Amino acid sequence: MDDLQEILEDFLVEAFELIEQMDQDLVELENNPEDLELLNSIFRVAHTVKGSSSFLNFDILTELTHHMEDVLNKARRDELKITPSVMDVILESVDMMKALLEGIQASGVDTECGIEISAICAKLDAVSKGESIEGISPTEASISTEPVVEEEIAEEPVAEPAVEEEVDLDQNYDEMSDDDVEAEIQRLIQEKFEAKEAKKAAKAEESPAIETPAPVQEVTPTPEPVVETPTPAPAPTPVAVAKKEAPKKESAKKQAMAPEQTIRVEVKRLDHLMNLIGELVLSKNRLLKIYDDVEERYEGEKFLEELNQVVSAVSLVTTDLQIAVMKTRMLPVSKVFNRFPRLVRDLSRDLNKDIDLILSGEETELDKSIVEEIGDPLVHMIRNSCDHGVENPATRLAAGKTEKGTVNLKAYNEGNQIVIEIKDDGAGMDADFLKMKALEKNIITDREADNMSDKEAYGLIFRPGFSTAAKVTGVSGRGVGMDVVKTNIEKLNGIIDIESELGRGSTFKLKIPLTLAIMQALLVSTQEEYFAIPLSSVLETVRVSMDEIYTIEGKNVLKLRDEVLSLVKLSDMFGVDEVFDNGEHAYVVVIGLAESKLGIVVDGLVGQEEIVIKSMGDYLKGIEGIAGATIRGDGGVTLITDVAAMMHLAKDIKVDVTQQSALSESKQKSAPSDYNVMVVDDSKTDRTIMRKSLEPLGITLTEATNGVEALNILKSGEIAFDAMLVDIEMPQMDGYTLASEIRKYSKYRNLPLLAVTSRTSKSDRLRGVEVGMTEYITKPYSPDYLRGTVSKNIKLPEGAIA
Amino acid sequence: MSGQLENVLQKQKDQMNHSYHDEKSEDITQLVGFVIGEEEYAIPILNIQEIIKPITYTRVPSTPAYVLGMFNLRGNVIPLIDLRRKFHIAPKNEDAETRYIVMKDGDNIAGFVIDKLTEAIRLKSSQIDPAPETLKREKGMISGIGKRNNSILTILKVEELLKRDF
Repeated sequence: MDDLQEILEDFLVEAFELIEQMDQDLVELENNPEDLELLNSIFRVAHTVKGSSSFLNFDILTELTHHMEDVLNKARRDELKITPSVMDVILESVDMMKALLEGIQASGVDTECGIEISAICAKLDAVSKGESIEGISPTEASISTEPVVEEEIAEEPVAEPAVEEEVDLDQNYDEMSDDDVEAEIQRLIQEKFEAKEAKKAAKAEESPAIETPAPVQEVTPTPEPVVETPTPAPAPTPVAVAKKEAPKKESAKKQAMAPEQTIRVEVKRLDHLMNLIGELVLSKNRLLKIYDDVEERYEGEKFLEELNQVVSAVSLVTTDLQIAVMKTRMLPVSKVFNRFPRLVRDLSRDLNKDIDLILSGEETELDKSIVEEIGDPLVHMIRNSCDHGVENPATRLAAGKTEKGTVNLKAYNEGNQIVIEIKDDGAGMDADFLKMKALEKNIITDREADNMSDKEAYGLIFRPGFSTAAKVTGVSGRGVGMDVVKTNIEKLNGIIDIESELGRGSTFKLKIPLTLAIMQALLVSTQEEYFAIPLSSVLETVRVSMDEIYTIEGKNVLKLRDEVLSLVKLSDMFGVDEVFDNGEHAYVVVIGLAESKLGIVVDGLVGQEEIVIKSMGDYLKGIEGIAGATIRGDGGVTLITDVAAMMHLAKDIKVDVTQQSALSESKQKSAPSDYNVMVVDDSKTDRTIMRKSLEPLGITLTEATNGVEALNILKSGEIAFDAMLVDIEMPQMDGYTLASEIRKYSKYRNLPLLAVTSRTSKSDRLRGVEVGMTEYITKPYSPDYLRGTVSKNIKLPEGAIA
Repeated sequence: MSGQLENVLQKQKDQMNHSYHDEKSEDITQLVGFVIGEEEYAIPILNIQEIIKPITYTRVPSTPAYVLGMFNLRGNVIPLIDLRRKFHIAPKNEDAETRYIVMKDGDNIAGFVIDKLTEAIRLKSSQIDPAPETLKREKGMISGIGKRNNSILTILKVEELLKRDF
């Protein structure tokens, strides 16, 4: 039972792959109806599926494919001309075949999906009978069957093909005329001979196949007429050479040549592998960080050199390993692209337009999970280009263009991203028209429309509910499709870039990161917190002066070259307390997502780092603006921002970036003991002297023995200090450093810092002023002088002195 | 010396026999006790993954005040919850006795800040009363009240503690 299940699964996988290929070939065939090689390839698919399904007792599927095979068989013997109407019937039957296979996938049998095939079978019969012409060309037939044998040897080295072949032939004989039988016998003899040849060839190929791809091609018997179509793009595999010669034979040959070069692996295992690599990358980051620390501490030591070598080796290998594992998850985009020729063909028939789809860069590879996600958006984009982009032939002629429109679908790598470009030579977009439509549908306000740049206007097509179509058709008009595109691309952290020229056409560029699990991120800081922004969404970073920031309707904007960019402070978005004062400059990280842009104001740019996305668990997941967390080299947790959600959050934030946060008002003080002063000195004697001197004032004193301790007490915020007495010479952190640290906090900018020191030179005093000391009290001092200076600085009311 | 050792061993043996006997006669719940504010609480020992000393954590925005943030526990990102704030007790700074208890219930896991640990407690089911009706304030966070010689302790429901309520 399990064996059967396994065979069934294999059958389904294979069948779906074959049908995908078939779809492509069929569309191609319509353009080159004479192409025998294509016909053969299509026939093979129907034949293989029929064989396997009869073996697995799928009667309905067998019946359907049998009828298809009849038609195709006639066609390839030149007894039937492939006209568009014949093509429609064939394509319909292919769809039916797909539906049946899906039914089988769901329920395990083909009887339960309720698909009625009698109608389509009748159609197929009509097609095949209607134009049948007697006149067989046995040579051609014999040649064309050869690849079938070749393929079966390669794909199913078990006993199965034998059964298949017999079933097939039996059925064929029933319908054959005498002439046919004659020819068939000849064919069989020929086939036997050729099968032997092929087997021999396959054996001969097996061993040298890997190292020497060139000779392989020579050994391979190629009785098929070589098709002189230029190859779309060579793949970087050894098969490439052979592929160049005859791209249509690609699948059959690949399998024939290298039967053992691929293994099917469960995606779950690859995911697990990817997770492990993620852990390794984190450990590597950690190791690098530790190495830096060690290097600092043991500079010049001999073992450092060795450690350096090991660390570099580990880091290199980890990176290579990561790339290698990522590659195992990569699939060529052709997986997605392949369904589009058929889509465009159907669309152009529906829309009465003449459209050519040109694919390029199908060999570009992407992570499996992304390949699965981009299918739907691309369908909508292509529909959009066909429906709204390319005009109907009459309009095109009037505009001085060729009757046939073109849609280019291109994929290529750009840095860490893959770019998918959908380009049409149609009407282009009219920004004013788009604005008008958006106004009509109440998607934007008058004012928004006035302020909109052309690019932003193009972006309107991604708004839900937006449509320019006058009426809802089968293809478009519901205003849903492009919204789907945007949501899906955002989910992948991708960017949509639109260029359009009225009358000349539009170009949509989808920029998508290569993988989702490990990514490059820009680490930024705001106040004392760090955040990671996916680098794929970062367009640029700029350092701006506060003067360059303007306020419009309570929102901050920055004029960056020709664009007006709205700004949002990262600390406002994530509710970070403002403790530091940032001065006159700020960094703006310009992020882009789908079609929109936003400037994020941060305090510092930390750098670029490779990060691994960790789930935050059920308890913390789904927090707006946060996509996940990662662990940094120092072992700390850093949050990864969700760029899409940030764009959304930014809309509701109306805070003036330039405005300084108001200082918290001090509490009303009534008694001298409400005044708090901190005494920072490492000498117990000195602290006691100060305490004794200040005691008569009745104020509350807190003591700290060095700069670090003082800073921690201050930062804890438990006591609001009114002044600090600071010694200069102290262990761990001296008075100067302490003062400059304290002055970094905006709320302590006006805190009186009184230096109490025996250093009296002019340069010491100057340094004190530089770091922000308020007063300079030299030791020894009289208790009265100290009291006076302190009470003056904390503004102690005269009468309050006890 | 050897007599002493024997003594100890004998004692342990007795204890084991004793507890074995106990378990046989009645259901025993093993709990870990800890203090938050003035009161002693306990949770079943089986829900504890580990107990660690305070480490640095990262604040997470848009969460209630009692969610302090997240910390890294050997490569896993774990939320950190302040039970003082969750129970509406004034917050207190970390000190030498502060601990994080990492609790789990199925796939849910989180760290909880407590003031100090007390001890492992074995209670017979007869020593545990259901939560009194009047204590509905804690929204079902209490699974029962444990009675000991001269004190009582509140037994918390871990699955409720780990439930996100924001």
